[in-house]
Amino acid sequence: MSVDLTSSSGRTILAFKAGRAFRRAGTNFVDASPTKGAIVLVNEDGLLHFMWKDRTTGEVGEDLILFPGDAKLEKVPQSSWGRTYVLKFESSDQKHFFWLQGSSTRRDEEFMTNLNRTLADPNIIPIWDARNIYPASEASTSAAGASTSQPSTALPIVPETSDSTLAGTTPEQLAQLRGIVSSMTGFASEDELWLSDVLSSQNLLQLFQTHHELLPSLFPHLPPELIPSSDATPQQAVEILQRMTNSPPFRTAVAQLDRALRTGALGEFVRSLGLPESAATGVGAFLAAIAEQARQEGGTEERMEED
Amino acid sequence: MSDEDSSGWQLTESDPGVFTELLKRLGVPYIVDDLYSLEPESLAALQPIHALIFLFKWFPESPDDEPGVGTGHYDSDFPGFFAHQTVNNACATLAVVNALGNITSLPAGSQFMDLMNFTTGMDPQTCGMAITSADWLREAHNALSPPSAISLDGLDLPKKSEEAYHFVVYLPVLGSLYELDGLKPYPVRHGEYDGSGEGWVKKAREVIENRIHTYPTGALEFSLLALRDDPIPGMRRRLDALQGSAGDAELSDLMNKFSNENSKRERWAFENSSRRHNHIGLVHALLLALAKAGKLDSAKADAQRVMQERLERQRAMQFD
Repeated sequence: MSVDLTSSSGRTILAFKAGRAFRRAGTNFVDASPTKGAIVLVNEDGLLHFMWKDRTTGEVGEDLILFPGDAKLEKVPQSSWGRTYVLKFESSDQKHFFWLQGSSTRRDEEFMTNLNRTLADPNIIPIWDARNIYPASEASTSAAGASTSQPSTALPIVPETSDSTLAGTTPEQLAQLRGIVSSMTGFASEDELWLSDVLSSQNLLQLFQTHHELLPSLFPHLPPELIPSSDATPQQAVEILQRMTNSPPFRTAVAQLDRALRTGALGEFVRSLGLPESAATGVGAFLAAIAEQARQEGGTEERMEED
Repeated sequence: MSDEDSSGWQLTESDPGVFTELLKRLGVPYIVDDLYSLEPESLAALQPIHALIFLFKWFPESPDDEPGVGTGHYDSDFPGFFAHQTVNNACATLAVVNALGNITSLPAGSQFMDLMNFTTGMDPQTCGMAITSADWLREAHNALSPPSAISLDGLDLPKKSEEAYHFVVYLPVLGSLYELDGLKPYPVRHGEYDGSGEGWVKKAREVIENRIHTYPTGALEFSLLALRDDPIPGMRRRLDALQGSAGDAELSDLMNKFSNENSKRERWAFENSSRRHNHIGLVHALLLALAKAGKLDSAKADAQRVMQERLERQRAMQFD
C-alpha cells in the first residue's frame, strides 16, 4: 500500500522508512512500535518540519519544527539490533526515538548523513551518491590487516583516519566498515548472505544422506532425550536430525545468529566456539573461520577457493 | 496491570503441548487440546471437558473491543477461585490456574493444593500476586520457554518480540456458566445452563460465538482450547477389555484413535524438547560438518545467489 509521503504545502526534502520507539517509563529501555512509518523532512514556508508519518493510514504522528543546527539524529550505540536512532536537541532535553524500517541497511548511512546535514543547514542539497560523502582515500589492494584468516575479498576502500589502523579496530568497527563499503560500492559484500540459506533444508538433508560418518558429531548437540541410541540406524538418525533442523525453534535460533553476526558484537561468543575474534565481524568471516576450524580438525574435503 | 515488570516470568507459547506439559508438572491428569470447531460432534468427541480456553490477540491500542460483558454480569460475590493477571508473561499459566481452581475434586499435586489452600478467601488482586509469587510455579512455567538468547558481549539480543495472546476461561460453577478473565475486575456470570444433553458446553458455545461475532470478520485472531481428561488411560483399559471379544470394527476404530493420540503426544514431546533446547551448538556443528564434507563453499555461493535475487526484487519495490 503506497502512501503519499509528500507534503501538500511544502517541499519534501527527503523521506525514508522508519518506525517510532518509546521509552519505557522509569527505565532506559526503548520499545519499538511496529507501526510502519516514515521520517519526512519538509521545507514549508522556510520552516523545517521533521515529521513522522504512519505509512498505513497516512496520518502525521509527529510534526516538529526544527531550528537549523538545533537537532540531530544519532545512532543509539546500545541497540544490539543496530538501527535505532534518537533525535536529540541542543535547546532541550527532548528525545525522540526511531528505528529504520528499510528492507536493506545499505542506504542507512546515506539517509542519516543527508538528514543530519539538512538539520544543520536546511539550504544544503542532499547528496545521494555516497561516494561523494566520504573523501576517497587511496584505494588499497588489500586492507585487512587485522586478521590473517580473512580471505582476500576484504575491504577495498578504507576511510582514512589519522589514529586508527586496521590492526587496532574492533570487530564492531570492522562490521560497520563493511556496511559502509557495501553501500558505497553497490556490490554485495561477503556479508550479503544469510546463515538461514547456507543451512537450508535441502543443503542439510543432502549432507545427512551423503555423509553418515559425520552424523555422530551432531548427536551431542541434540536435546539429550532425543539423541539416537547406539543401535539406531543411520536412516533413523537422519530423520531425527531433519525434524530438529526443520523445527521452528531451530530456525529461530539460526535467524538470531544471523542478526547477531551483523552487529560485530559477538567477540566473546565466537571465542567460546573456539573461533578467532575476527569471526565476529560478519557472516562471511564467521564461515571462513569455521572452514579453517574444520581443516584444523582434520577430515575435510574442502579446498579453499579464493574469490 | 503491570506491563513492564515480568517478575522473572518468561513468555511461553500458547500451544496445547505446552499447556499439557504444565498440567503434568502440576500433577493434574488432564490434557489441553486444540478445538477446531464448537459443533456438538467435535465437542462430544472430547468429553468430559472441564473448561474452554478462548485465546485471542490483544491490541491495547485499538478502541475498547469489549462490549462490556456481553449478556453477562459481573459477580462480585463469586464463591469460587479467581485471580487477577498481575504479570503479563504469566497469562497462560494464570488462565490454567483460574480454570483448575474451580474444578471440584481436582486431582492435583501437593504444591498446587497448598497454593489453593493458601489463597482461599483472598481478593482477586491479592490472589493474583500470590500466584505469581509462587517460585515453584514460575519455574514450572519458565521450564517450557526457550533458553535465553545469544548474549552480545553483555548486551542481550532482544528476542523477536512476541505478540501476547489474551486468555479467557469459560467453565461451569454451581450451575452457571462463568467467564474468568484475569484482566476484568470480577468473574462474569453468563447465567444458568441446562444440565441435560450437551450440558454447559451448549451455553458456552452460544456465548463464545456471540463474542466472536462482535468483531468484524477477519479482525480477530483467536484460538480455542479444551481442558479435558487425558483419554489415554481410558483407551488402554478399553483396549485390554476388548481383547479377544467384540467386533473387529470397534477394536480397530479404537486402535486408530489410540494410535493417533499417541502420535500427537510424541509430536508434543518433540516440540517441547526443541523449544527448550539451545540450538546454537547444533548450528556450529552443522556448519563444521558442511565444511568437512566439502559442501560449505557451494552452500555459501548458493546463499549469495539467493540473497542477490532477494535484493533485486526489493530494489524493484523500493518505495512500495
